Amino acid sequence: MSTIPRVSSAIPGEPAHFGSVLAHQPAIAHSFFALYGRFWESGVLAARIKEIARMRNARVTECGFCRNVRFDKALAEGLREEVVDEITDGYETSGRLTDAEKAVLKFTDALIHDPELLTGDAKAALQRHLTPAQIAELGLGVTLFLALAKALITMGLEPEAMDRTVLPTPAVLEAAE
Amino acid sequence: MSAVCAALAADPVLARHYADFRGKTEAALDPALVALVRQAVAAVHAMGEAPDESGLDAGTRAVLAYARRIPFEHTAITDAEAAAVVAHLGEAGFVAFSVLAALADAECRAALVGLPQLAGANPAP
Repeated sequence: MSTIPRVSSAIPGEPAHFGSVLAHQPAIAHSFFALYGRFWESGVLAARIKEIARMRNARVTECGFCRNVRFDKALAEGLREEVVDEITDGYETSGRLTDAEKAVLKFTDALIHDPELLTGDAKAALQRHLTPAQIAELGLGVTLFLALAKALITMGLEPEAMDRTVLPTPAVLEAAE
Repeated sequence: MSAVCAALAADPVLARHYADFRGKTEAALDPALVALVRQAVAAVHAMGEAPDESGLDAGTRAVLAYARRIPFEHTAITDAEAAAVVAHLGEAGFVAFSVLAALADAECRAALVGLPQLAGANPAP
């Protein structure tokens, strides 16, 4: 995996990172940030659940940037590092993750890794804990997490080293509403 | 309609935003290339036949070879492979292509887990 950017920053004076590289395509960038803000601001599915799915995707896709970012809304909803540490293989036996969160993780694994993991029992558990609207939002989130992690990695935008960084949760772009 | 769009049928605001993002990504590239990339990625997931590359130029074939690596080998793509795509599409084109190929892969996966049905929507046609 390359940590040398394969495309330059489109913003003078800025190093190559996801935002500055995506600026080569302003229409895509604006549309993405509008979507991502709306997704995170929606309260249909708790930010803590979304962040748990995002953390799982980060580990499976090997996205170091994604793995080291935390969104503050999920932290405010009680997502502590001891919980994040258990979003790893064997999460099924975690004592810190709820049954709903384990069902979300199984769905996440099925979408990003192997659809066969969504067995009849796993599907029933997901539908027991989440409403159809919440599953739709979760599916959108995992789709975006996966796609963006892969785009980031393949564009060579993985950091060589990065500390854990708490960022403001993406917000709705007023102009896009 | 993609599986994600179908799943979002009951949430018109998110559905509109997602469709816009998808549309803006596709609009940044030649429509024929978009179709070829989507077809190549879907074929990796056994969701259709691989595109016929017999009449394609070397640059386009390099782009499709790269796209086929996205579903299961994204961490193994080399700088040389990426440079070949940048040379063919330019930097802005490479950015749009990177988003398109990764989104195409994720949408295939969403369809394979039956996201629309799980979300109570009709399957994507």
